[in-house]
Amino acid sequence: MPMTNILSSFRGKKAGRAFILPAVIILLLLTIFPFLFSLFLSFGKVSFLGGLQIHFAGLKNWLRLFNDERFYNALSNTVLIAVIAVAMEYVLGLGLVLLLNRGVKGSTFFRVLFFLPMMLTPIAVGYMWRMMFNPTRGPINHVLPLLGLPAVGWLTEPKIVLYSIILTDIWQWTPFMILILFAGLQSIPPALLEAAKVDGASGWRLFREIIFPLLIPASIAAILLRTIEVLKIVDKIYILTGGGPGIYSESMTLFGYSLGLRAFDLAYGATIAFSLFATILVISIIFLLMTRRSQEISLE
Amino acid sequence: MFKKTRKSRLILVLCVSAVLLSALGISPALAQKRFEGIEITVFTQTPPFIAKPVQMFRADWEKETGGKVRLITAPWAELYPKMFSSFALGAKNYDIIIFPAAYLADFASNEFLAPLDTFIAADTRIDWLDILPVYREKISTYAGTTYAITMDGDSHMFYYRRDAIENPEHQAKFKAEYGYDLAPPKTWAEVRDVAEFFNGWDWDGDGREEYGVVEGMRKGAQGFWTFFSRSAAYTSIPGQAQGLFFDPETMNPLINDPGHVRALEDWIEMIEFGVPGMINMDNGEVRSVYAAGEAALAIDWGDVGVISDTDPGSTVKGKVGYSILPGTTRAWDYVKESWVDFPEVNHAPYLAFGGWIAGIDAKSDNVEAAYDFLSYLGSPENSYICVTTPETGFNPYRESHFEKLAGWYGYGFVHPEDYLGAIEATIAHSNVQPDIRIPGAFRYFEALDAQLAMALAGAKTAKQALDDAAKEWEAISQDLGKEKQLKNYRASLGLPIE
Repeated sequence: MPMTNILSSFRGKKAGRAFILPAVIILLLLTIFPFLFSLFLSFGKVSFLGGLQIHFAGLKNWLRLFNDERFYNALSNTVLIAVIAVAMEYVLGLGLVLLLNRGVKGSTFFRVLFFLPMMLTPIAVGYMWRMMFNPTRGPINHVLPLLGLPAVGWLTEPKIVLYSIILTDIWQWTPFMILILFAGLQSIPPALLEAAKVDGASGWRLFREIIFPLLIPASIAAILLRTIEVLKIVDKIYILTGGGPGIYSESMTLFGYSLGLRAFDLAYGATIAFSLFATILVISIIFLLMTRRSQEISLE
Repeated sequence: MFKKTRKSRLILVLCVSAVLLSALGISPALAQKRFEGIEITVFTQTPPFIAKPVQMFRADWEKETGGKVRLITAPWAELYPKMFSSFALGAKNYDIIIFPAAYLADFASNEFLAPLDTFIAADTRIDWLDILPVYREKISTYAGTTYAITMDGDSHMFYYRRDAIENPEHQAKFKAEYGYDLAPPKTWAEVRDVAEFFNGWDWDGDGREEYGVVEGMRKGAQGFWTFFSRSAAYTSIPGQAQGLFFDPETMNPLINDPGHVRALEDWIEMIEFGVPGMINMDNGEVRSVYAAGEAALAIDWGDVGVISDTDPGSTVKGKVGYSILPGTTRAWDYVKESWVDFPEVNHAPYLAFGGWIAGIDAKSDNVEAAYDFLSYLGSPENSYICVTTPETGFNPYRESHFEKLAGWYGYGFVHPEDYLGAIEATIAHSNVQPDIRIPGAFRYFEALDAQLAMALAGAKTAKQALDDAAKEWEAISQDLGKEKQLKNYRASLGLPIE
């Protein structure tokens, strides 16, 4: 083989690989190693007595997890928050996008206004809503009696607390749905909509047969991203209730944080983290399989 | 001529001084700058609280000794892992750590900290005996050896509104309803009555409804300390080894005994007489709610007293009374497994959290300089400035802190003698109960915290919750090694280990 060809081949493939190798190593060190180490920890026992020691403990942590009432409570709280919050965010986001897209007066102003909550940090949102929900000094409970309604223990009533948390999540993250769906809506060719209108399609039919099917890819992305995020919810709950009253608002991540970093039971904390990872993985796969089927139906 | 003579004399004096100092083996330059070129690293919580005193005094110490102080800080949740990993890996990241007293057993039992008794014995500046006995003999020691210098005196105390309790109309109404005189509550039963009496009406005439009590009950915050403040008097018999956490003979948990159950039942009842939303309040919120004049009674560290009198936004300045935690007329004897009745009120003040203490890495290359800085920071004079300065996070812990009132008036207190009197009565009490100080302390606390939260939310009865907590405590002890934990627990109480 001529020398120039060898050099050319090296430049083309091996040099390329050599250049990306440091990035791959860094990526492996920063992501894969901690991931595998956490997985290892979930089968181990960490002891601080006599210095840091890690021993293999088999399935002990996993058996403890599956017999822990707090785990099932945290799992059901987390899934409930995710299902209701993401569904509401999607419905509200879609409705607002359709309104904004109709070119109502001041739509640019509203578009900017709607995005503001999303730009706040969850901690700030948590403190803001904690003040809003304050039973004696909060504005919501100040207004309710003026309307003839009783004051509500938004963050202290076991039957209400999860819905209060869901409300704050909807308030903050509906704009994300708006952002994604608005981009999806903008990508629909105007000619297609015009042609349908010329053919006499009504507003509802236009939405049902053209807009919604074409928004499905954007909807899947938005719902999936939000679901993954909400399943990891911790910051707002930490500020709003700390997981209380009782453990009625404890999420999976807060449960893991409490055991792993407050109680320093690191092995069990890692087990909780991995169970959350598995939950997210399963829910995401089920969701993608379901939506793939619905995409196929809509394309048919 | 005169000038020349004076100059000659000056030179002569300097020469003689130099010769004398040389003869004594002291170089004037070196005596003043004994830590020249040495840098010590201090690690503690993110400022202002706790780190502020280091920021206040390091420049003066550097000027005096020639050494340098580097301050590294981290949020609360990162303190333990960072301290522990530095010690366990022998990284020597920090020469000094200022840390919660609850961590001492973990660090001392692993021989991470340098013993300080020899330094203290030779130290003429620190005035060790001026520190109140419970801090120098219990909180700063492990198995009879001193491993830390006290920086902060933390204990729970009780607060009441003087103006509400001293009001003659309220006193007459209370006596008619409850059959005894309205006064600052001495027992938890009286706390219940006074809280009920002042709950749900405008007793201070500001046009708004007020409430009976405010206490920190929030899950994941400081609620378990408030619970122990209530249960201590129900479970601590004077002269008996501590019955608050574990049986010191067997390491069996005592937290589900009838004394603790009774205390939790009392506590649950307080929700009814408390500021709405109290179940979700941490102690930060307790302080602001009390300073806003919303409640008649409160339990907290010294902070409610500080904020009530010194915060510009406080509506209760000068209206707050202070006392040792209320007591009981009976307590559960864990040895005889029966109730013991007392002719007088049994108080068992609780050193919740135990305060911040400072230790030195046993492997530090600069132990001497590190100790010198701690001695400087914790000296009677400088510690007095710390405890009377806002945002240091340090509360009084020396005899001398209670004697000089000028600094406390300067701080903004209206009745500093009462505030200090309540703290001193707490700390110096013969039946005072130190906090839990064994490895895994926060693991035990976390397990209890979740169960207390469930009882407060009505998901479990007091007995069910504490029985479940006791099972978890037993499992934690088994996991950590029950025999080892028993030895640690006995060492933390100053009892013979074998």
